[in-house]
Amino acid sequence: MPETIEIQLKKGVLTLCVLALLNRGDSYAYEIASTLSDAIDMGEGTIYPLMRRMQADGQVETYLVESSSGPSRKYYRLTDAGRRALEAQTAEWRAFVRAVDAIVDAPAAPAATPAEEGAEQ
Amino acid sequence: MTRAEFMGRLKQGLVGLPMATAAEIAADYEAHFEDGAAAGRSEAEIAAALGDPGRLARELRAEAGARRWGQEQTASSAAGAIFAILGLGAIDILILLPIVLPVFGTMLAMLLTGVGVFIAGGFVLAVGPFVGAPGGVLGAVLLGVGLMGLGLFMGGLFALLTKWLIDATIWYARLHYRVLKPALEPQPVVQA
Repeated sequence: MPETIEIQLKKGVLTLCVLALLNRGDSYAYEIASTLSDAIDMGEGTIYPLMRRMQADGQVETYLVESSSGPSRKYYRLTDAGRRALEAQTAEWRAFVRAVDAIVDAPAAPAATPAEEGAEQ
Repeated sequence: MTRAEFMGRLKQGLVGLPMATAAEIAADYEAHFEDGAAAGRSEAEIAAALGDPGRLARELRAEAGARRWGQEQTASSAAGAIFAILGLGAIDILILLPIVLPVFGTMLAMLLTGVGVFIAGGFVLAVGPFVGAPGGVLGAVLLGVGLMGLGLFMGGLFALLTKWLIDATIWYARLHYRVLKPALEPQPVVQA
């Protein structure tokens, strides 16, 4: 199942992505959902359980903005706890990417030595 | 699926949540349809991008259950949280059963022992002084009070362990939350 690792990876970084988006500026759920669904292919509906969870964890808070057309819109902004979570998760993400890159991009030098020996024989 | 169908199935799945919470959630998704329509998408497109409303409702219920347990540690909030999480399928009960049963058995035995020791203590305290217990009246009273104290202590320990166990269960389930699953599952079908 090639999709499995992809699902696990996306699941892991979804919170980080939302934190990073909100750090750039306050936003509303539709905007967050469409940005993330374009970028990492996530289901738009899942943003609502996630936002409620982040709100329960105290990482984001909401406020209403009056709209010229229709009902007022619910905006999300980062709390101090959210900013701390963003810092911590960003550091974890960077360290993880570095570690994986180091393995994936490692030069194939060790494998070349036995091959050369084989050629000499 | 039309907007009305989606909202109907979502609301159906949210039955049992507090009215205010369910209304708030419904308003979130209604606003999503409004924004989507304003961006020029059809109801069917928006509903398809949102995912399965039944599954979304189960996730929202699990989230609400976990939150309620965090606010008030009562037997009903514990049951609510655990059943909501089971509904989510985040915990495979058949796999966990061999682990969970002995744990619950031990806890139950502990609770019963605590209650038994407490009752025995009360009995010794009430009857001991009159039947000429070996330690005399004072000995019987002290033994009775001591046993009742031990019973209370075991009951308290049981309550503490239970709370810790439920916290751990919720933590585990949240960790294994399949948040992206409903959206990603149809993906391979579309590509294939």
